Amino acid sequence: MSDNNKAVVDIDRSVYDIKDVENEQDFYRMEDGFTEDIVRKISEEKHDPEWMKKFRLDSLKIYNELEMPDWGPDTDELDMNLISSYVRSKSDMKGKWEDVPEDIKNTFERLGIPEAERESLAGVGAQYDSELVYHNVKDEVADQGVIYTDMESALTGEYSDMVHEYFMKLVPPTDHKYAALHGAVWSGGSFVYVPKGVKVDIPLQSYFRLNAAGAGQFEHTLIIVDEGADLHFIEGCSAPKYNVANLHAGCVELFVKKNARLRYSTIENWSKNMYNLNTKRALVEEGARMEWVSGSFGSHTSYLYPMTILKGDHSTMEYTGITFAGKGQNLDTGAKVVHQGKYTSSLISTKSISKSGGIGTYRSSVIINKEAKHAKTSVSCDSLMLDSISRADTIPGMDIRTNDADVGHEAKIGRISDEAVFYLMSRGLSEADARAMIVSGFANPVSKELPLEYAVEMNNLIKLEMSGG
Amino acid sequence: MDLNMKVNHLPALTYRFLKSNNSQIEINDLYIENTKTPEPENIPAAVSVKSDATEADVKAIFEDANNKIKAKKTELPGPNGDTAPLNDGQVVRTGMGVEIDNLMAEMNVPVTVITAAEGTEVKEPVFIRYALKDGDCVLGSQVIHALKGSEITVIMEYDSDTDAKGFIGIQTRLLAEEGAKINLIKVQMLSEGIMHFDDIGGVCEDKASIDSIGMQLGALNTWGGCRVTLLGRKSKFNNHTGYLCRHKQTYDMNYVADQMGEKTESEMIFRGVLLDEAQKIFRGTLDFKSGSAGSVGDEQEDTLLLSPDVVNRTMPMILCQEEDVDGRHGATIGQLGDDTLFYMQSRGIGEEEAKRLMIRARMESIARMIPDEALIIRIQQFIRTIL
Repeated sequence: MSDNNKAVVDIDRSVYDIKDVENEQDFYRMEDGFTEDIVRKISEEKHDPEWMKKFRLDSLKIYNELEMPDWGPDTDELDMNLISSYVRSKSDMKGKWEDVPEDIKNTFERLGIPEAERESLAGVGAQYDSELVYHNVKDEVADQGVIYTDMESALTGEYSDMVHEYFMKLVPPTDHKYAALHGAVWSGGSFVYVPKGVKVDIPLQSYFRLNAAGAGQFEHTLIIVDEGADLHFIEGCSAPKYNVANLHAGCVELFVKKNARLRYSTIENWSKNMYNLNTKRALVEEGARMEWVSGSFGSHTSYLYPMTILKGDHSTMEYTGITFAGKGQNLDTGAKVVHQGKYTSSLISTKSISKSGGIGTYRSSVIINKEAKHAKTSVSCDSLMLDSISRADTIPGMDIRTNDADVGHEAKIGRISDEAVFYLMSRGLSEADARAMIVSGFANPVSKELPLEYAVEMNNLIKLEMSGG
Repeated sequence: MDLNMKVNHLPALTYRFLKSNNSQIEINDLYIENTKTPEPENIPAAVSVKSDATEADVKAIFEDANNKIKAKKTELPGPNGDTAPLNDGQVVRTGMGVEIDNLMAEMNVPVTVITAAEGTEVKEPVFIRYALKDGDCVLGSQVIHALKGSEITVIMEYDSDTDAKGFIGIQTRLLAEEGAKINLIKVQMLSEGIMHFDDIGGVCEDKASIDSIGMQLGALNTWGGCRVTLLGRKSKFNNHTGYLCRHKQTYDMNYVADQMGEKTESEMIFRGVLLDEAQKIFRGTLDFKSGSAGSVGDEQEDTLLLSPDVVNRTMPMILCQEEDVDGRHGATIGQLGDDTLFYMQSRGIGEEEAKRLMIRARMESIARMIPDEALIIRIQQFIRTIL
C-alpha cells in the first residue's frame, strides 16, 4: 500500500469484526433449518399467545409455497438448511448496562452504543443475535407517555391488543418469501408508541448485532406515531465476518397517523457474508410525513426497498439513500412509493457507488393510483462507477394512472472527473485522498440528513471502502 | 393460427407487480395470407434489392459482425435478473426478441434485402408502402445493409382502409458497416381495427450510425421494439419516436441501445400523448457494456396525459459495466401546464382547441424530421382527421 493511502488505511475496521465465542453454557441455539417443529419450539420458547403460534405456522406454510423472486441478486449460495433461526444468550434482558453479560456488554461498548445513549439518544434497544439484551428509555421521554419496549414484552404485556391489531398487517406474510419466513420465526425487535401530540426531541435507537455464525436475525420493529406526534428513530446494525452465510430477514412496520412525522434512519453495516433480505414499510395518513434516511454499506447480498403508502390526502414522503457496493457485494436497493391520497407528494433521491467488482443496483417503483389527484413525485438517482470491473445499474419503474399528476424522473451514471481529481491534487492532496474526498462529497446529501455522530460513522465507512478495507 | 408470444423483455427484470418485465401477444384465428414485402419504390442505381432471401442469407450478412460481438464478450456478471440469455438464439438482437424470429421462421417469411453499394450516398429515400384492406393479415421481413461508407434512407409507411380490421407484423434488421449510415423512418397510420407489431434490430460497426424515426398514430394494439448494438468505435444511434394513443389503443415498446464499442453515442427521444382510455408502456435502456469507455447515452421521455382514464407505465433503465461513461435519463409525465393553458386562453383559444394544438405540435416536432414533404402532409391530415 502506498503512502498515498495511509490516511484512509488508518481507520480501524476491527471494531465491527469482534467475534465473541458463544458457548453452550451461556447461549441457546436452535437447530439449523426451518421446519414446523422448529417454529413450534420457537413459539414455546417465547411463550407466544395462541394467535401468534397459529400465525407463525400459517406463515411457514406460505414460506414453503412461495418462490424466490427471479429479478434480484442470486441467493443460490444461501443454504437455508444451514441457518439457525434462533440464538439467544441465557441471560434475560436488562435495563442497566452494568447488568448485561460482560462479553456482550464489551461488544456494544466497543461499538459505542452506551456512549451514544448517554450523549445523544432518548432511549436504546440493543439486540444480540435473536433477543434484546438491553432496553432503556429516558425517564423524561417515558413520562410523556412514549412507549419503547421489546416486541416480546409488548406482545404479552399491556400493549398486546395493539400488537395484535398492527402486527404484520402492513407487510403480510404473503408479501414475499422472506416476509413469510419472518412471520414464522421472528424474534426480538422493538415496539414504539408515541402518543397524540407528543414530540420526541431526541432520537430513539435500536442496534442489532448478529454475532453467531450461520445464524439468522429476524427482528420485528413496530412503530406507531399517533396524531400530531413526532419521532426520529435510528436503526444500526453490524456483524463480524464469518466464512459461512448469515441471514437477516427483519421486518419494519411504521404507522404514521394524521399530521404526524416520522424519520427513520438506518446505517447498515452488516458483514460481507450477510444476506440482508429486509422489509420496511410505512403507512402514512392525512397530512403526515414519512422520512427515510438509509445508508447501505455492508452485506454480501441485499434486497432492500423501503416502501411508503401515502394513504391520506396531503401526506408526503422523502427518501434519501446511499449504497456503496464493494468487492464481493451485490447490493440491490432503492425505494417504493404508492400514492393513494390526493395532493400527496414524494421525493426520492439516491446515490450509488460501485467499486472493486461490486454490483450496485438502484431499483424503485412509483405508483400513482387513479384517485391520487394532484400527486407529485420527483425521483433522482445518481450512480458513480469507480472502476471497470464493477456494475452500476438503475432500474426504476413508474405506473401512473391519472392525468392529474406531475411526474419527474432523472438518472445519471458516470465517473469521478479527472479534472476534479487534478484540481484537488494541485492543492496538495494525494490521488487516493482526492478520490475519497470526491466520493464523500457525492454522499453529502445523505450524510447531512444524519445526526452528526452517524454522519461521521458514514464518512468513515466511505473512507474505509475507498481504501479497500 | 394462434399467436401466443412473450415479447419486449426488459433487459433486466424488476418487481413482478409492475407487470412490465415483458408483454404477451395473444391473437387467435389469424390467417396469414401475405408474407412478401411490397416491392420497394424509388430505387436508385446504387441500391440493390433481393426480395427472396432466406434466413441463411441473413446469417451470412451478419456473420462478420456477430463474430466481433462474440469476441467482445467478457466473463463479468450481467445485471441482476439478466434476460439476455433468452434472446441468445437471434441472428441480430431485436427489441421484441427471439419469438419474432421464431414466428418468421415458422411462417417461412421471405426476407427482402436492400443493399446500398460501398461508398455511395443515396439522397432519395427508398419507399416501402403497406396498404391494408379489411381482413388482411400480413407478415414481412427486411434487411437494410449499408456497405462501407454508404448512406441510405428507407421510409416504411403502414396505412389501411378507414375501418379495416386485420393484422400486420414486421421485422426489420439493419447492418451499417464501417462509416455507413442508415436512416430508417417508419410511420404507422393504420385503422383502429388492426393489430400491429414492428420489430427492429441493428448493428453499427466503426464510425457507422443508425438514425431512426418512428411515428405510431393508429392501430388498436401496437407492440414495438428496437435494439441497436453499437459494436464499433465511435458508432452512433439516434432515435426519435412520436406516438398518439386514444380510445382503447395500447402501445407497448422496448428500446435498447447496447453500447459495446469505445466512444459510442446514443440518443433516444420519445414524445407521446395519451387520450381517453389509452395505455402505454415504455421500456428504454442504455446498456454500457464493458469496453465502451468514452461512451455517452441520453434517453428522454416526455408524455402528455390528457384523460383521467389513461394508464402510463415507464421503465427507463441504465445498465453500466464501464467506468468511463456518461449516461442520463429524464422523464416528464403529466398534463398540460396551467401556464400553457392560461397563455392559450388569453389568446382566445379554448381548452379543447389548446389541447389539440399541443398534440399537433408534439407530433409535428417529430414528423418535421422526415425528409419527405408529401408524407409529412399525410401525417398532418391523419392527425387532423382523428382529432
